[in-house]
Amino acid sequence: MAETVAEKETKVEIEAPWNVVVHNDPVNLMSYVTMVFQKVFGYSKQKAQKHMLEVHYNGRSIVWTGVRERAELYVQQLHGYLLLATLEKSD
Amino acid sequence: MLIHRLNEDSIEFTDVEPIEADLLRQIPILCDVHGDSRAESRLFSTPADPSQTQFLTDWEEYVRPELQHIFLSARTTVEKDLEKMEERLGHPSRLVILCSHGEAWLNALNQARLVLANKFEFTDEELSLHEVPRSFSRRDLVLLQINFYAAIQERIIDGLEGCAEGDEKEPE
Repeated sequence: MAETVAEKETKVEIEAPWNVVVHNDPVNLMSYVTMVFQKVFGYSKQKAQKHMLEVHYNGRSIVWTGVRERAELYVQQLHGYLLLATLEKSD
Repeated sequence: MLIHRLNEDSIEFTDVEPIEADLLRQIPILCDVHGDSRAESRLFSTPADPSQTQFLTDWEEYVRPELQHIFLSARTTVEKDLEKMEERLGHPSRLVILCSHGEAWLNALNQARLVLANKFEFTDEELSLHEVPRSFSRRDLVLLQINFYAAIQERIIDGLEGCAEGDEKEPE
């Protein structure tokens, strides 16, 4: 006899991603900011420089987007390097 | 003063003139922001907008003490390294630091620069200015000091390129 299996409905809520934003600061050196991006995110020098220049010219750069927990950790690490970093909900 | 890579795991400061040695010794002292609320608010800047109430509360409770520890540890490393500076009266000094201390130096130099910039309320324009000032007021001299520390940071960053990380051998 065939077994009846009740179908369960599973709802998976996908959380909106979070941005790690770095803001311009006249005290932090461009070379230092590049070095920090390489260390924290493991970015290539080229990618790190791209974000650093975005910070320098646009006043801010979204340096990472993803799950909240990890974004919080990155913000914490960036503050340890004295960079002006904030956590923002992605649009 | 010259700053360069001495070997695989050390950075050397040579020909450190007495005034430069004095400015180096001021780094850990300047990092102490006790009571300076402006400097403190920059060192411990807000990590999110006020709507993130829980995050900000947790940050104050758990992250801030950790940041305080990182900043203090950087200061202490620089302080201890400076104690090893080879000094002879009337002669330039020499200092050797481990590459593994490089990040602590960068951090402490940043703290010192941030504290000075906040204390003397330098504008973005003033901080980007690299001209020799016309007068030498206290403020002008502090700006020179900030730029002197920036130059050291640049040389340390250069020195750290390709450095072996995590090596704890004592410098020569």
